[in-house]
Amino acid sequence: MAPRCRRYPLPLPRSSTGSGSRRFISSPVDSSVAAGSGVAGAKGSTSKALNSGVAWYAGIRGKLYERKYGSDFYKWGSGASLGGVRHARVASMPAVGAKFDAKPEDCIEVSVDGKDVTVAKGMTVLQACEVAGVDIPRFCYHPRLSIAGNCRMCLVEVEKTPKPVASCAMPALPGMKIKTTTPLVKKAREGVMEFLLINHPLDCPICDQGGECDLQDQSMVYGSDRGRFIEAKRSVTDKNLGPLVKTVMTRCIQCTRCVRFASEIAGVQDLGVLGRGGAEEIGTYVEKLMVSELSGNVIDICPVGALTSKPSAFTVRSWELKSTESVDVSDAIGANIRVDSRGPEVMRVIPRLNEEVNEEWISDKARFAYDGLKRQRLNEPLIRREGQLEPISWPQALKTVAEAALKVNPDEMAAIAGKLSDAESMMALKDFMNRLGCERLWVEGNSEDTVADLRSNYLVNSTIAGLENTDACLLVGTELRIEAPLLNHRLRKAVRNSRAKVGVIGPETELHLKAEHLGNSTDILASIAEGKHPFAQTLSSAKFPTIIVGSGVLQRSDKEAVLAAVQTIAHKANVIREDWNGYNFLLLNAAQAAGLDLGFVPGSRAPVGDKKSIKFLYLLGADDLTPEDIPADAFVVYQGHHGDRSAYRADVILPGVAYTEKEGTYENTEGRTQQTSPAVPTVGDARDDWKIIRALSEIAGVKLPYDTLNGVRARMLAVAPNLFRVDELEPATPLPKESLPETKGKLDSSPFKRAVENFYMTDPISRASKTMAQCTAAYGRS
Amino acid sequence: MAWRSKLSQSLRELRIHMCQTGVASKATREFVVKNYKDLKTQNPRLPILIRECSGIQPRLWARYDYGVERSIPLDGLSEPEINAKLEELVTTAPKGKTPIHA
Repeated sequence: MAPRCRRYPLPLPRSSTGSGSRRFISSPVDSSVAAGSGVAGAKGSTSKALNSGVAWYAGIRGKLYERKYGSDFYKWGSGASLGGVRHARVASMPAVGAKFDAKPEDCIEVSVDGKDVTVAKGMTVLQACEVAGVDIPRFCYHPRLSIAGNCRMCLVEVEKTPKPVASCAMPALPGMKIKTTTPLVKKAREGVMEFLLINHPLDCPICDQGGECDLQDQSMVYGSDRGRFIEAKRSVTDKNLGPLVKTVMTRCIQCTRCVRFASEIAGVQDLGVLGRGGAEEIGTYVEKLMVSELSGNVIDICPVGALTSKPSAFTVRSWELKSTESVDVSDAIGANIRVDSRGPEVMRVIPRLNEEVNEEWISDKARFAYDGLKRQRLNEPLIRREGQLEPISWPQALKTVAEAALKVNPDEMAAIAGKLSDAESMMALKDFMNRLGCERLWVEGNSEDTVADLRSNYLVNSTIAGLENTDACLLVGTELRIEAPLLNHRLRKAVRNSRAKVGVIGPETELHLKAEHLGNSTDILASIAEGKHPFAQTLSSAKFPTIIVGSGVLQRSDKEAVLAAVQTIAHKANVIREDWNGYNFLLLNAAQAAGLDLGFVPGSRAPVGDKKSIKFLYLLGADDLTPEDIPADAFVVYQGHHGDRSAYRADVILPGVAYTEKEGTYENTEGRTQQTSPAVPTVGDARDDWKIIRALSEIAGVKLPYDTLNGVRARMLAVAPNLFRVDELEPATPLPKESLPETKGKLDSSPFKRAVENFYMTDPISRASKTMAQCTAAYGRS
Repeated sequence: MAWRSKLSQSLRELRIHMCQTGVASKATREFVVKNYKDLKTQNPRLPILIRECSGIQPRLWARYDYGVERSIPLDGLSEPEINAKLEELVTTAPKGKTPIHA
């Protein structure tokens, strides 16, 4: 039997055209799968079979990509920046013909399989083929990474060249005649595949990549139908890359995507290639873990099963999963994710393509904290009797809360929305508390007296993708890599692509990018504001200057003075102009932006500050207050999905649902409204958060005027209309300096504190996650 | 404009909706640019939430005690007229709603 991979289960369309020798023969080429229909000149049964096989494969590949990246994949260009043509956007999905934008004078004409196409100068042969709608098999080529050209799978024939050329590494030249369907190409691909499979083990049935493996798929289409290799296969020692990435290095085909990802995207030089020829291995050279918040992405880019997810090893096969498109809530970036579930269990979380937010990467917390969804869950209402929490029915629980609330003077009530709260539940809670007369509300991460007046003051105005354009950036009181790894990656791109200068005022942290640590004191901030510090010159001479202020600043007593100093710098260095707003306020939590937009802040005349006066405290999944902060005689309601810190102090616990179980609106730190969708059913007797508050309002006699999800959203439209525009970014216009009130207060000289102590454990879900606990143990404070 | 300092006495929250670029919101934008500083200085603890969203009708929202809200559409009004509408929201604040608390 041939030594080759088999796809399990075999999804091949089979029919009986009868030419027999190839297993993939003959899907009827319909229009939806007809990527290869432009392929001309098929002569004889073998190449006809090859062509229809390629067409079928391109169709399947399109579906796989759609599955991998969501149906939006076709809409987004892959943003390839190859060969110096940065404005040429090339979609890597070839089945529909890739699109790019370039001026006519920057275009050249080439011919692909007899079809003339116009492509941008500097595009590679492979990209030209994509524009022509011809799919080229590849392993090492990845549009977001530099070109390696070492897998040789993308060989094509170019007229007047003696040998097949690696299309990913060859620039397209005017008049080039590219051929992808000739016997030479077919033989070359078959040969390359045979070499790749020489040392690749035959363990597809037990490989976690099985079913979504590039090697498996491409060997079915381009490989030979029999093997000639009878010698022993080599084996390679597995490497320890930490608790997240499982390695089976024998499966590695040395495409070096992971090495390039680590050095180019993650910014860690930990991975490398060791040895030559048959002894070539990928590894960390010394026993070293790969320390990066983005390390999980190597699992996605690995075309084979060499790097797979360690937490989900052997738990799942890709075809058993139901996929739900959703949004990550572990930080304020709002990365687009796909939640893969089997029955009631979330089995894995992987990124979805969104060029504006997360490209195709997500942080390790977003990817791996899902196991926390199964532990420490609250599944029934509980009440504290004689110091012990006991189960209670929903009506009784709500009645107890309503009675407790009505006994208290409104000025002695407070409500805190937790880090993961969705906009709907915050809207309902705000309306409910307001109707009771309580005005003391805030969202975790904000201070109690945060001003939410102007959106431009608390959003990332340059936008996440726009940060790539900056040429000078000042970070104030933020550890960007830990607070928002994906934003750090954008800044890293700016540093790499246009040598942006980065200055940091705040705790000293390795950012994995070239940055100058200016110091950790407000004196430096003041001296930049006065124009005495050399970095003031750097900022004001920049074309697209940016400032990123971490929202940890809000916890300082002199926050107004700090923000005023930052505003002064912004105005002096021309950071805020008509065509560019580089003033960025980086939020920490998923709930923060929507909470501020909804005005989940204390209303006028609210008693702010003294927590000792609180007699009734409503915690919507909020856990930052320690039991010592909460007065002993206060009645505490904890509504949330995890029995986390503050649940231990609660008098009544109302079980809510997690982000994977509800349709909730979230706004990310740049002001983009996005929605999660329910992937798995709720746990036990838990209820949607806004519904709990709606029911409670009725029992308390202040019935909220909505009882459907659309009703809540219509109410949101009357408060913050931008939250109604899902997947859209409503930009915020800054007010001119003259229109802003003068700020009082002086800078105090205390250093900026860390806003996030441990990247891996920041919210109730990640604190309940075993994987995140292992990461904390392995990486410490990374 | 003495009523302005009473804003935080009668209102709990003031919201101004407008479009970033629309013609209908032009006067509202001007109103905000010219008056925000004065309103905020006189009422530092009053949330004056300026919410921009493309294509929406400019509107003034006032929230009073116990979650009572009122709104006035602003399209077609000039800047002094908007000012008058705001005054109207302040001076005609609902009074005497008994708290539901015992």
